[in-house]
Amino acid sequence: MTKRILVCDDEESIRLLMSEALKDNYDVVEAADGSEALQVLDRENLDLIIIDIKMPHIHGLEVIERIRETNKIVPILICSAYRLMEDDIVVKTSDVAAFFTKPLDMRALKMKVSELIGT
Amino acid sequence: MKKNVLLYLRFVLILTTILVITYSKRGLSLFEPGYAIALLYFFSNVFLYYVSKRIFMKSLVQFCIFLFDVLILSAVIYYVQGLAADFYLIYFLVILVASLSQNIAGSIPIAIVASIMYGWLTYQSNPGMSFFDPAILIRIPFLIIIALISSYWSQSTRRASQEKEELERFNRELKKEVDRVATEEIELRQYSEKIINNVPSGVIAVRHDGLITTLNREAERVFGLKGDETLGCSIQEIAGLHALWQKMEQSIMSNTPVTRVEISIRNKHNEVIPIGLSISPITGPRDRFSGCVTIFKDLSELKALEEKLRHAERLSYLGKMASWVAHEIRNPLTSIDGFAQLLENTEEKEKIKLFSSEIQKGTKRITYIIDDILAFARTKRQEKKLTDINLKSLIESIVAEMNIDTQIASDNSPIVRGEIESIRRLFVNLIDNSIEAMNEKGKLRIRFSANKHYWITEIVDNGVGISKDNMKNLFTPFFTTKERGTGLGLAIVKKIVDEYKGKIKITSEVDKGTTCRVYLLKKSDQKGSK
Repeated sequence: MTKRILVCDDEESIRLLMSEALKDNYDVVEAADGSEALQVLDRENLDLIIIDIKMPHIHGLEVIERIRETNKIVPILICSAYRLMEDDIVVKTSDVAAFFTKPLDMRALKMKVSELIGT
Repeated sequence: MKKNVLLYLRFVLILTTILVITYSKRGLSLFEPGYAIALLYFFSNVFLYYVSKRIFMKSLVQFCIFLFDVLILSAVIYYVQGLAADFYLIYFLVILVASLSQNIAGSIPIAIVASIMYGWLTYQSNPGMSFFDPAILIRIPFLIIIALISSYWSQSTRRASQEKEELERFNRELKKEVDRVATEEIELRQYSEKIINNVPSGVIAVRHDGLITTLNREAERVFGLKGDETLGCSIQEIAGLHALWQKMEQSIMSNTPVTRVEISIRNKHNEVIPIGLSISPITGPRDRFSGCVTIFKDLSELKALEEKLRHAERLSYLGKMASWVAHEIRNPLTSIDGFAQLLENTEEKEKIKLFSSEIQKGTKRITYIIDDILAFARTKRQEKKLTDINLKSLIESIVAEMNIDTQIASDNSPIVRGEIESIRRLFVNLIDNSIEAMNEKGKLRIRFSANKHYWITEIVDNGVGISKDNMKNLFTPFFTTKERGTGLGLAIVKKIVDEYKGKIKITSEVDKGTTCRVYLLKKSDQKGSK
């Protein structure tokens, strides 16, 4: 059965990029903000979540916290233009599988995804 | 009369008495009564010498002394039987001395007692003598007359000398008072000079013709002048203080105070010093006192501090801007880079088209960000091509591109002078905001009006409005509530409006809409403002 990935980014072009890069091997679902992402999570079974940090309405880190309240298993990848050190981003390592900074190395991202959930 | 003088006079009396005894028929011989009387008389004077002045000068005491004299003399005359030898004349001496020290009321009783004694002695020596004998009838009134005349004379002399003394005392006191007042005035002047000199602000007072009358230490320091070089000089002669004199002259002429004005002066060392001043005109009772006094603060340090703060602010903006630019550019960069990576492995024509278009979108976004930063960072010192701009035509052309329902109301043609690109950007940013607030629906209303100096462009939308919290940050750079805003739009608007010495007012009500009023100087008022 094809694994399902949720891509949550407020930038349409980034969502398109992710889904174009991953759709050959995975089923990709898109969400334009945190609340949409939480709704998808309620509705569907997800194998992986790729999420941005700076988003309108709900901050990405808060979205991760909320996801972890109900789902401790699904691996989460962060893809953000922020830098962990420079921008003082504090992430619980237990909550997040990997942190990718934009611009992205698409090959490395794909490898990480397949490492986490296989193809 | 002084005690000593009286004692001397009395001593003369005593000597005369002793001489009278010595040259009488009886003569002065030891252990005779005459000798005892002379001794008693002499020692009475010695005794009086030791009596305190306070007691001695009492008129009753003096009266007693003269009474004693009269009795002693009567005793002497009786003893020497000297009436026949004209010794009675000595009574005149006593009465004279008594009247010198006593007033009329004191000397007349003495004269009366002397007359009685004389009468009694005369009667003793000639028991059969009649009262109407010339020896009595003439001499006794004579004694009284002498007492009257001499006491009157002495009293008036005494009064004159008393008056003179009084006058001298008064003069001395007057001089003392004048000296005291003069000293007090000097002290007072020194005190007020001290106060003025120790005021931590500069104080300069001038007469209406510019003559400097007061210059305190701080003013000397700021102007780089010494007090003795300037006091009595005209402020008009000091080139660096021309701007200050202009303000002071205005205040004197209009007789109105000037408060909290900032000007620059040039001190003696040719340094430009910013000062903040207040001027109060002084209208003196006489012409030479009218003028004004200025109190000022040297603002050099404050200005340097402000500059430092501005610099720190600029650095902080720069920091914010750098981090914002980094973040904002990374997103489109991710698209460009990501789609470029995907392009490598794509042969499908459709896909290639899609990816290239996404790459172009990314580059456009980056260009947009760069344009905003440049618009914000551009300084007004740059050369600009100024033209006459018809605001109505400009805004019509802007909204035409934007596909929004717009109503433009204007009967007049608002024309300002400026650089077309900056004015255009100003209104594009404002109209963009309105359209976004209305979610591309709703109606945009634009009105033009004018007051004395400005053209007022009013842009009214019926969009979501701005919350009170966000109102505070309207013009703060990098502050945005939009999903894809740079946070520079209104900061740029404010910057452009400031450059044109205009004003912008924004009022808003949540869920009802926002009204922006842009005030741009009319062409006629614009000279020198750019």
